[in-house]
Amino acid sequence: MRYLLFLLAFAAVGVAQGIDLSPADPKDLGDWAQVAQPLRLYPTLSTPVRYEGPTLATRLFGEIFLGEAKYAILLGVSPQNEVALWVDFDGDLRLTSSEKLQGNRISGGSSWSFALKARPKGGEAYDYPLSVLWPEGRGYVFLVGGAPRSSTFHDHRVVLVDGDLNGVFGTKGDFLGVDVDGDGKIYADPDGHEYFALSEAFTLGDRSFKVREISPDGRRITVEETAYVPPKIPLIPGSPAPDFSFREFTSGQLLSLRSFRGKVVLLDFWATWCPPCMASLPGLRQIYAKFHAQGFEIVGVSLDESESDLRRVLADQGITWPVAFEGKRWDNTIAALYRVYQIPTSYLLDKNGAIRYRDLEGEELEKAVAELLAEKTAETPSLGALALPELPAKAEPILEIALPKEMQLRPGEESVIALRVSNTSPYLAEEVRFSVQGLPPEITAKLPEVFNLPAFGERTVRLSFSAEKLNPEIFPIPIKLGVEYHYCIADACFQMSQAAESALVLGERAGGGFVFPWWILVLLALGVLGSWFLWGRALSGFSIFILALAFAALGFGIYLGQARQAQRIAAILCTSCVGIEEERVPKVELSSELRAAFASLPKAGHLVLFYTPWCRACPYAKALVAEITKVNPRITVEMIDADIQREKAERAGVIVNGKAVVPAILVEETGKVLFGTGDLASRLLSALKELP
Amino acid sequence: MKLRHLRRGTQGLGIFLGILGITGIGMTHIIFPGLHCYACPLSVTVCPIGLLQNLVIVGSVPFYLFGVLAVYGLFLGRGWCGWFCPFGTVNDLLSWRKARFRKVLSPFKFLVLLGTVVAAWRLADTWFCKLCPAASLTASLPYFAMGLAQPTTPFFIHMGTLAATILGMALVARFWCRYLCPMGAILALFNRASFLGLHLDPQKCTGCGLCQKACPMGIDPHWEGNSTNCIKCGECVNACKQRALSLRFSLPGARGYAPLRIPWPRSRADRVFSGK
Repeated sequence: MRYLLFLLAFAAVGVAQGIDLSPADPKDLGDWAQVAQPLRLYPTLSTPVRYEGPTLATRLFGEIFLGEAKYAILLGVSPQNEVALWVDFDGDLRLTSSEKLQGNRISGGSSWSFALKARPKGGEAYDYPLSVLWPEGRGYVFLVGGAPRSSTFHDHRVVLVDGDLNGVFGTKGDFLGVDVDGDGKIYADPDGHEYFALSEAFTLGDRSFKVREISPDGRRITVEETAYVPPKIPLIPGSPAPDFSFREFTSGQLLSLRSFRGKVVLLDFWATWCPPCMASLPGLRQIYAKFHAQGFEIVGVSLDESESDLRRVLADQGITWPVAFEGKRWDNTIAALYRVYQIPTSYLLDKNGAIRYRDLEGEELEKAVAELLAEKTAETPSLGALALPELPAKAEPILEIALPKEMQLRPGEESVIALRVSNTSPYLAEEVRFSVQGLPPEITAKLPEVFNLPAFGERTVRLSFSAEKLNPEIFPIPIKLGVEYHYCIADACFQMSQAAESALVLGERAGGGFVFPWWILVLLALGVLGSWFLWGRALSGFSIFILALAFAALGFGIYLGQARQAQRIAAILCTSCVGIEEERVPKVELSSELRAAFASLPKAGHLVLFYTPWCRACPYAKALVAEITKVNPRITVEMIDADIQREKAERAGVIVNGKAVVPAILVEETGKVLFGTGDLASRLLSALKELP
Repeated sequence: MKLRHLRRGTQGLGIFLGILGITGIGMTHIIFPGLHCYACPLSVTVCPIGLLQNLVIVGSVPFYLFGVLAVYGLFLGRGWCGWFCPFGTVNDLLSWRKARFRKVLSPFKFLVLLGTVVAAWRLADTWFCKLCPAASLTASLPYFAMGLAQPTTPFFIHMGTLAATILGMALVARFWCRYLCPMGAILALFNRASFLGLHLDPQKCTGCGLCQKACPMGIDPHWEGNSTNCIKCGECVNACKQRALSLRFSLPGARGYAPLRIPWPRSRADRVFSGK
């Protein structure tokens, strides 16, 4: 038996095949080989970087991590409005003039291209080409790269891309593009039939392979043969559109895509919650009205969940074409068949039911429909007319959830857990909803309400569990907290679902095990009252007894961290809380003169607003700076919780004699700090006028 | 005379602790044993009343605060008011008219304390801080001078309460400490059980009434020593020609640590003060 196992193991090793990869030029591969990811910039970094050069009007720092290597970058705008990027190539935390890169102006921003050394742990260092795109006036940049590496395997080209731009191959988000059909072109957009996540098997001919090992520097991958997996259906121009049947939403009639043969069909994936989809409806209605009689049909596939929303929109917009609806959002079977990962997505099919164009809109769509209607049924489609979306957008999770590993549940009580959810992207996360899987029926969960989380926003949500009676043997209960939301980048919307794992453990019932010692305080109070009625030695004894209680309370308070809490409360001065400042409503009405004055400020400026959650004047300051950035997009703003990021507050000079004073606004360029809210708009205006 | 010099020294220490921030050490974990605003630019200690309100607002059970206050209270009782509190010192400096204590106003400071807690609980705001004259003096005015505070309504309210309190102090010695201070109210609860106590030797007392005349709180110390309104400052000890009164550390309830409660009826006391 032992020998047999040994032989089997040997055979398994024998089946594994190594592929040596070498760097490939993304230009030869296609847009899919370049991944774009936002990188947030800050006025300061936790490891300060020294900038040596002429004065800048705007200074924003960021950090790029490539394996174990860390590179600081500085995006600077000179008083003459010239944009440049500094990259700390040598890692000495000094940005000198030799590290300055001149940018190319592109529409709406600037771009730079350069190469850094990636140092993955356990691999060799290698060159990592990167582009940085800055949408002008924003507090973030896009990193574009992926360091694609390619080779051939059984005469098919294989490309490995570092999809998460972390400089390490084989991590989550990295993927393979494999020229499965051997046509010399790889379709490896996330919905392409030649895109493979590292856990997915790919099929060449009648054999399927799966990645077994990847060297962190991407120089070599090892694949092994695995059970046959049918290849993904191509969705490229010329290929037949996969057929499906559906029940039409309004009429209830059973239809199939095949039943539209002989007609030009637009297969449109959309949803009522997707603003770009809604914006395209009037245009579609026009084209439909114009060409329907000549044999043009639209099949809408709605990824909505709410039936009533869809019914209302169909009635309001006067949509008469067939719509498929399953009420399952992204779990829609048709969307899964077409591997839809963003909406709107649309395919234009010819009279033979072959895919001819993708994601056309407006006049282009009108022209294409007219062209296809003019074709005869058996005409061979021409290849190469694929209209791909311009930006290689890739759906990535954008929310971070801090979930404790264990959550205590006390029978008969409601256990509340506060979760911090933060948005790590510059996009709005819409309709964030939570779900819990794995709960036994006797436990009920109260989930937070559906909410939207703005770009780089943070929110604390409450999750509560309760149960009357529980069998202690079922603990610990592993649970999965799912969060579902969607977000849009320009015209593309993505649905995301993330999950975090935790476990419910049985908490001690109040009265058993560890008891919160309320009684110390109760006894202390009784002792103090009692001392008023005693005389002589009784009082002496009593005083010593309450002194012991006092020390017990004090000690327990220190154990609970209340001394630190006291210090933190006192170390931050909310100007309105101590009444040296006016508290204002979080609503701002700028006079038309002030509005015009802010709008006419010619220089770009970056404001950093320091606040604390309990500060009562802070909402007003927040609303004011938000209004100013709306009036003048050259002014950008960043909000910092002075309680959490105390070092930043210290560096900014918001600490006055050891106390962080909030609200305070730092004008990043001049270093000037404005405290309080009194006459804040005009003080801010004069501070911004001083911008270099 | 010696006792007063000593007291001036400890009062100086109180002021020194109040402005220790001048050394740049920043906020510490220490709770100030008196009324001193933590918003003061130079303070390094936490104001107990400010902290109390914040804890009520956030809803934590104040083990640390109550423990510290009880230790302070058991140690000196209201002695902190007389010997340490900087705002008490300000009161002291303006103690020109030592009027009789109005018994009917005595519960007022407890009502201020209760109102402070209730306001923090119901309105979720630090309302006492917005009116506190100690904050006016040590926070509002310095921040106004530094340009951080603007001449707004809250600032004028602060100035108003400060002016009213100073006027009160000028007309009645220790006006704030007598009738209004919530910190004094907390420490008063421990006054009888504290280790620092006023002792009376009944054999020596002639009932001359000199101690009453000297008392800045306007009480009659040989009857009401260690009561909620006695700040154990020792002015009465200095005034007593018979050396019947003394101030010392001992176990509360020890011999001579008396009287502890005002005897009722007060007929004897009345006879003493009327000089009959």
